[in-house]
Amino acid sequence: MNIGRSRARTVVGWCAIMLALNTGCSRWIEIMTPEPHIGSSMQTIAQQEQVPLVLDRIRLTRNGAPQSLSGETEQRILGSLREIGLFARLGPPGSADFSRNEKVIRAHVLVDEAVDSHPGAAAWKGIAIGASMFLLTPVLPLEYDYAAHLTLELERWDGQIKRYESQSAGTAHYHLFGATPVMIDELKGHVTESCLTALLQQVVQDTSFYMASSAPLSDNPIRSVSVKSRRPDGPVTSVVPISASTTK
Amino acid sequence: MTQYTRVIVLLLSALWSSALPLRAEDESPLLPFGTQEIGLTAGYLLPFRLTTNATTKQSGPAFMPSWGIVVTDPIGRSWYRGQIILGAEIVYIQFQQPVLTHGVGFTPKIKYLFAGIHSVRPYVEFAGGPFYTDLAGRIPEESSRFNFFLTGGIGLSWFVTPRMSLNAGYRFEHISNAGTRYPNVGVNSNLPYGGFSFYF
Repeated sequence: MNIGRSRARTVVGWCAIMLALNTGCSRWIEIMTPEPHIGSSMQTIAQQEQVPLVLDRIRLTRNGAPQSLSGETEQRILGSLREIGLFARLGPPGSADFSRNEKVIRAHVLVDEAVDSHPGAAAWKGIAIGASMFLLTPVLPLEYDYAAHLTLELERWDGQIKRYESQSAGTAHYHLFGATPVMIDELKGHVTESCLTALLQQVVQDTSFYMASSAPLSDNPIRSVSVKSRRPDGPVTSVVPISASTTK
Repeated sequence: MTQYTRVIVLLLSALWSSALPLRAEDESPLLPFGTQEIGLTAGYLLPFRLTTNATTKQSGPAFMPSWGIVVTDPIGRSWYRGQIILGAEIVYIQFQQPVLTHGVGFTPKIKYLFAGIHSVRPYVEFAGGPFYTDLAGRIPEESSRFNFFLTGGIGLSWFVTPRMSLNAGYRFEHISNAGTRYPNVGVNSNLPYGGFSFYF
């Protein structure tokens, strides 16, 4: 009888330990997505009407301080711009693939990040968790906030500029043993994706503004010496759908 | 210059040059959020008598394997810029004086790692937890085997690579039973130590 009770206690004890460990490693992410823009997110553009886009400048700030930009961020922005199919081709910053006398959209991107790892809460909760010999780990979750504010300026070949902005924020809730760099990457990935989606929805609304036929090439002597159309005149040969997904 | 001094100078030069590539890349090797730290520290315990009631001159080697996790991004923008690391360590002390005895404990700890200069990052740390020792009953300051171990100290981490640091520092340590049995004068000690940590 006593052996049976002892075994039952051992089993219950192990179950409690496993549950505590499992809970202590758990984490979840909460994203505050921006309000979707009302209007069509699907438009079509003739291939002949597409113009190239060059990413002229990307700036990144974190909590107000300038940061060096990772190639990953640049590629992600370029990838998202490529996905909407509005532009003929895309060039990274400093790209010399575009001649001076062709219609080109120039993009300036500002990524303003706000990061808060809640150091005060981490300190006192850490002390409380430590004082309890980690028993309070499952009941004292920690937080990590990340917010992004994206500004995209698109300058048409005739010098006209359109400015788009979007912002998104998210919080990673985690227990002490669940803190990993991967979790932060996931949080930043979700927030950035949400932000980019909202931004590109706005760009798609202005499709007609970026069509090759929307404005003549500027006579700016600095940018062009001679003006010559590179594309042959003729009927529209194909239609490319433009899309910006509204869900992640 | 004696041969002994030459060897020390050569060793220091080799260590310094191994840290140079890191300094060129990044002035302060800050650790990403969620980075885990595994370390081993060893030191030699020396007596520290705070009151006249404490008469024992305990001494002996101490070993402290530790684990930690970085739970913040760098905080602040001034000299105090740094990161919080939460973790725990196991403490083993072999008391060689006044009588050969042993002590083992488990102490959760909190550490603040300053951003520092170049690859050298100072830190302050605090830890505390239960400690079992058979020194009790053999010295007048301790009466129970079950005790509590409290320690606080300062140190320097020298990041030889972004994933490894050499550490050296000083800790003040206190062992007592929190008044669960008397006498409970407690044992206080100095602990100069050295060690290394890996980050992944």
